[in-house]
Amino acid sequence: MTDDRALGPDMHPPLWFPEAALPAADQDLLEQLLEGRLDPASAPPGYGGLARLLAAATAPATPEELADAQRTMAAFAAAMRSHPPTLSPRRTAMPRKVLTIKAAAAALVAVLSLGGVAAAASGLLPDQASPVADQASATTGTDAAAHGLGPAAAANLGEAADAGSADGQGRASAVGPDATGTAQAGLCRAWQAGQGADHGQKADSVAFQALAEAAGGADHIAAYCQDVAAGASADAYGQSQASPPSVSAPPTSVTPPSSGPPADPGPPASTGPGGHGGPPTTTG
Amino acid sequence: MIGPRFPELLAGAQGGDEQAFAVLWRDLQPAVLRYFRVAAAPAAEDLAADTWLAVIGGLGRFRGEERAFRAWVFTVARHRAIDWHRQAARRPTDPVPAERLSERPAPDDPVGQVLEDRSTRAALALVAELPPDQAEVVALRVLGGLEVAEVARIVGKRPGTVRVLAHRGLRRLARRVEVTGLLGDVTR
Repeated sequence: MTDDRALGPDMHPPLWFPEAALPAADQDLLEQLLEGRLDPASAPPGYGGLARLLAAATAPATPEELADAQRTMAAFAAAMRSHPPTLSPRRTAMPRKVLTIKAAAAALVAVLSLGGVAAAASGLLPDQASPVADQASATTGTDAAAHGLGPAAAANLGEAADAGSADGQGRASAVGPDATGTAQAGLCRAWQAGQGADHGQKADSVAFQALAEAAGGADHIAAYCQDVAAGASADAYGQSQASPPSVSAPPTSVTPPSSGPPADPGPPASTGPGGHGGPPTTTG
Repeated sequence: MIGPRFPELLAGAQGGDEQAFAVLWRDLQPAVLRYFRVAAAPAAEDLAADTWLAVIGGLGRFRGEERAFRAWVFTVARHRAIDWHRQAARRPTDPVPAERLSERPAPDDPVGQVLEDRSTRAALALVAELPPDQAEVVALRVLGGLEVAEVARIVGKRPGTVRVLAHRGLRRLARRVEVTGLLGDVTR
């Protein structure tokens, strides 16, 4: 209430508002009206009607407004039966936490594989780099996971995308440093290890499709990867320095949007709003 | 407001005491319902019920005094209203303005109703006619009994902005009421 006293100049009504139709009301009067501290009878000219309107809006409850009592009490009783009150709310909070960690781990896997795609594309074939990288970054996290990781991981990823920003930070720092150099070498190692075994499955995965694209065709992967193996150790550092910004696009595509939908205010004061007792803050 | 008994009632409700919860509900339900009559009139009853279900679900984890409790309940309520508008926008067959009009008890002359019989519903309908951001802030302050800082946190705006919106809303309402010719000499 004190920090917004200095608002005087801001109080001009918009241009389309015919303020002249009203006697000037000072801000104290308006605050009294807002807080229901002004008796309509003592309202200054021009504000009597408003005072009565606000009094009507805050009139005592009508029976109609309390008609839902039985239903609400039944819901309360049912909730207490199914979740008997415990004095330690942590017990209910625990499974959620575990789930979040699992989801974050799944997201990390997804991000690493996406990072690998971008690195393989951008690192070695500059002219093909941007299309592939764009493709990777254009794919939403969930879509990418659905193609590359299977439905379970995709579902987890969706949850992870809803998780808090702390997870996002963890993911970013885990992925950032080695996404360029090692991922492409790893991709090649994975390819070479699987050669002759189950090509069918591997060729379907997004990562290996990108590898094929980077190599200029599935047939060229072997040769391409030999070059990678030869140059990887020497170039890794330099590449990560010179790599285009698009390399970092896939990880960011998985992180939750900062202005997420205000789905539910979630559990109230699990954080304990402290002495001041503000309302429980949500993600927003 | 409940006052000094609030901590005891909250603890009781958190322990499963229906009577204690009933007191909390009766104290806030009218304000919640009226908030929805401003913020999402066609669905006010349902959204109020949804809000209480969510409050029941989170009650055990709530910590704080009465003002914080009110602010939390209205935070939940506001999210319901936002969700409802979002869904309504996706349903082109569900024209909101028409429904809001049909919801009003006296579409012809809500101002007259307010001045003559102090109808609460008519007053809320007038508040609902304000631009949405003004209506929301006026509703939270007047109906919710919340302070500037609390409303600011709930709607995610700066306290100064909240203050300006509320004052603009009131000026606009005052003009709306006075302009009809039923002037301030109509006492009660």
